[in-house]
Amino acid sequence: MCKHNASSLIRDGHVTILYNRIAVFRAERGASRRELAEAVGVNNQTIGYLERGDYKPSLELAMKIAAYFGVPIELLFSFRPFESVADTLRRAAAAGEQSQ
Amino acid sequence: MTLLERMDRLVYATRIDRVIFMKAPPRSFRWTPLFVLAALIAGYVLMARTTGLPDRGFLIGFPLFYGALVAAPFLRILGPTAPRPLDERELIVKARAYAISGAVLASFAMLGCFYMASAGVPWLWHPSAALDWLNLGFGFQAGGMLLPTWIASWLQPRLDHDD
Repeated sequence: MCKHNASSLIRDGHVTILYNRIAVFRAERGASRRELAEAVGVNNQTIGYLERGDYKPSLELAMKIAAYFGVPIELLFSFRPFESVADTLRRAAAAGEQSQ
Repeated sequence: MTLLERMDRLVYATRIDRVIFMKAPPRSFRWTPLFVLAALIAGYVLMARTTGLPDRGFLIGFPLFYGALVAAPFLRILGPTAPRPLDERELIVKARAYAISGAVLASFAMLGCFYMASAGVPWLWHPSAALDWLNLGFGFQAGGMLLPTWIASWLQPRLDHDD
């Protein structure tokens, strides 16, 4: 399990953690924080807080970020930790070998 | 080059434009507002202690108090609650900071009202001169700028180097 950025919220006495992988998608796309911030209409510091899991976005902002990367929202945000990129690639490689 | 053009260039050369047009990214002030608030209170006390002609205390208190009064709006403009277009996270931080500071200031005003009930007691100090009341008003005004800036700076985590 890779180390993910997560923000927590205390609800009904339980801490709900929201994991995200904005940084992974941003790195893959080669976009700077400023570019993403300008695209979704927030301050670039807010992107930093989002990536570090220090802030939970509104549904509107989450959808704007998902639309920017062209992926469904659940690929960016999750209440469960995301699988690491290395694990995903290993799994994909294993699946490819099996199919051949 | 005309005088207006020279003045325009001077604005950009001194980088005042970054403050006026709010080009600088908002900064966190976790301690500065406390120092300014301390200077404000110390300045007020030194001025209020003076009765009659201005003495040494008044001459020290005056620049302290009015210096802090001038510094307060600058901290507000440069800080996280700056009066500029804010995104959703900044608006939440600003709303919470103003709510907390509003409650704190209202509590101080309420306690001040209770304290003023002791106005007849001779050994207690009370604002009496017009300048005392005027400075008290200015002090509350500055406090209303410094407290939200200070609280908002603590409400958001420290910035990363990448930010």
